[in-house]
Amino acid sequence: MTLVLPSTASRRRLFRQAPRPRDWFILTAIVGISVAAAFPLAWMVLTSLKTPAETMQTPPVWFPASPSLDAYGKVMDVIDAGRSFLNSAIIATLTTAGILVTSLLAGFAFAKYEFRGRGALFAVVVATMLLPPIVTLIPLYRLVGYLHIDGSLAGVIVPNLANAFGIFLMRQFIKGVPDELLDAARIDGASELRIVFSIVAPSVVPAIAALALFAFVYHWNSYLWPLTVLQGHTDQYPIVISLSRLLSYNRGALNTGLVMAGATMAVLPPVVLFVLLQRFFVDSIVSSGVKG
Amino acid sequence: MKRYLNGPLLVMLAPATVLLGVFILLPMLLTIWLSLQDWSTQTGFDTARFIGLDNFAEIFGPGSVGRDFKTALANTAIYTVASVAVILPLSVLFGLLVYQQRVAGGVVLRTILFSSYMVPMIAVTLVWSKLYSPSEGPLNQILGWLAIPPQKWLSSPDSALGSIVLLNVWQQVGYFTVLAVAGLTQIPKTLYEAAEVDGAGPVASFFRITLPLLRRTMLFSGVIAIINAVQVFEPVALITQGGPINSTNVLTYHIRRVGIERSQGGLGSAMAVTLMLALIVAVVALFAFARRGGEEE
Repeated sequence: MTLVLPSTASRRRLFRQAPRPRDWFILTAIVGISVAAAFPLAWMVLTSLKTPAETMQTPPVWFPASPSLDAYGKVMDVIDAGRSFLNSAIIATLTTAGILVTSLLAGFAFAKYEFRGRGALFAVVVATMLLPPIVTLIPLYRLVGYLHIDGSLAGVIVPNLANAFGIFLMRQFIKGVPDELLDAARIDGASELRIVFSIVAPSVVPAIAALALFAFVYHWNSYLWPLTVLQGHTDQYPIVISLSRLLSYNRGALNTGLVMAGATMAVLPPVVLFVLLQRFFVDSIVSSGVKG
Repeated sequence: MKRYLNGPLLVMLAPATVLLGVFILLPMLLTIWLSLQDWSTQTGFDTARFIGLDNFAEIFGPGSVGRDFKTALANTAIYTVASVAVILPLSVLFGLLVYQQRVAGGVVLRTILFSSYMVPMIAVTLVWSKLYSPSEGPLNQILGWLAIPPQKWLSSPDSALGSIVLLNVWQQVGYFTVLAVAGLTQIPKTLYEAAEVDGAGPVASFFRITLPLLRRTMLFSGVIAIINAVQVFEPVALITQGGPINSTNVLTYHIRRVGIERSQGGLGSAMAVTLMLALIVAVVALFAFARRGGEEE
């Protein structure tokens, strides 16, 4: 076989060795599953480019005759997309920044300090990872009311500034930073906080990158909590909540193009981030899943 | 060398532990306390009135509250078991395709599968609601090419919950595939070489080497898949509203409807506590099952 995949950087061949019959089966499976898995998002983008008439045909039209961006303009009319994107960006960025700082500090304490109750405290932290958000939703909704941050972006952000997964991930990676490095800095008179930010943090950059991406995507996509805490404050809505209003804009098939254009817009930031930086994602899942 | 340092230790630990304490542990304890109270979510915690186990009697009772809750509990159980039962085997199958080195395309497959895990559930919901459309949607058209009659998908009580399982599998399977690949890389290649020398075929190798050595990974994946599955919310909130005929009423949706929208904080908290207990039982059962399987080897 001399078929070459143009997309791979190293011009890897389709088959490493002379193909056995089984290898043709594997290739068919990879292609088939890839096509099936990519289909929903491909359909989303294609449909966002169709005319309203094309989206309503039975049987459905697969490819728009003359692709148009009209549906995207319509989305901007129906929802305040600019404001919603800004809200999403503020929520995801500030939450991520908070998670990075709190996780780095606590991860360092759990990895490098010995103190009474360390094991028990860490177990409690890890256990909170297994708690579905709905279990705490009702009293949490009341609590942010007491803090007078309900109905605002602060109400979305503040309860999520610390995160058990982040602490866990940081601890796993900071454990690998040599103690000699820290002691050398201490002899030079560096404070413990200084050590965390100028010695430990630069040594665990891949883990920080992974955590930043995870946190950003998770809080960009998050729906249940913002919906609950922002009830009715439409000017504070992140894009994922504003999008849900597209579905009720017109009933039935009339809104199909609009819905698909809106979905495409909301999907782009997290998916582009992932495709650019997927190495970090994958590495951190592997280390949190297997070494854990 | 590890150190015992009180001042810096507090500075390091305080932000995370205070935040987790106030916004996760405290609400969890409040949920347990509120489950024993008559309390409206509209009012302060000080208005709560202790009523013992009455909330639990009501949500498991014969009235309409009990009927709806038990349906939601059963739907969530079915949804969770179905999701886990589809996702775990698929993750191993896809993991093998990504991990194998003989045929190119593994990384491409992984990228495509994992991309859908990055897609906001709200967008997944919007897209699939259109894919499922009985007349203008492509899924029934594709089924037609295969001579399969058109399905009602989300609009029939018989198929609605299954349709949500399917879109959930599509969104999540990439994450579990990456976990499976991580597990596969831990298996020493020499085991397979030895098996081949002994004349074992690929099927025998899979069942005698791969699957047993993936047990820890599968246990971890199973726990995460269960926790993820009980969080299903967007497709129900946005499209089915629990219907048709309560067939997609699941706990995250139902608890929020009762506890937030109807402000029945005590009842909603009792439901949340029940969910928490059910999860503990499920996870413990999973561990017990994995351990028993381990002894049989």
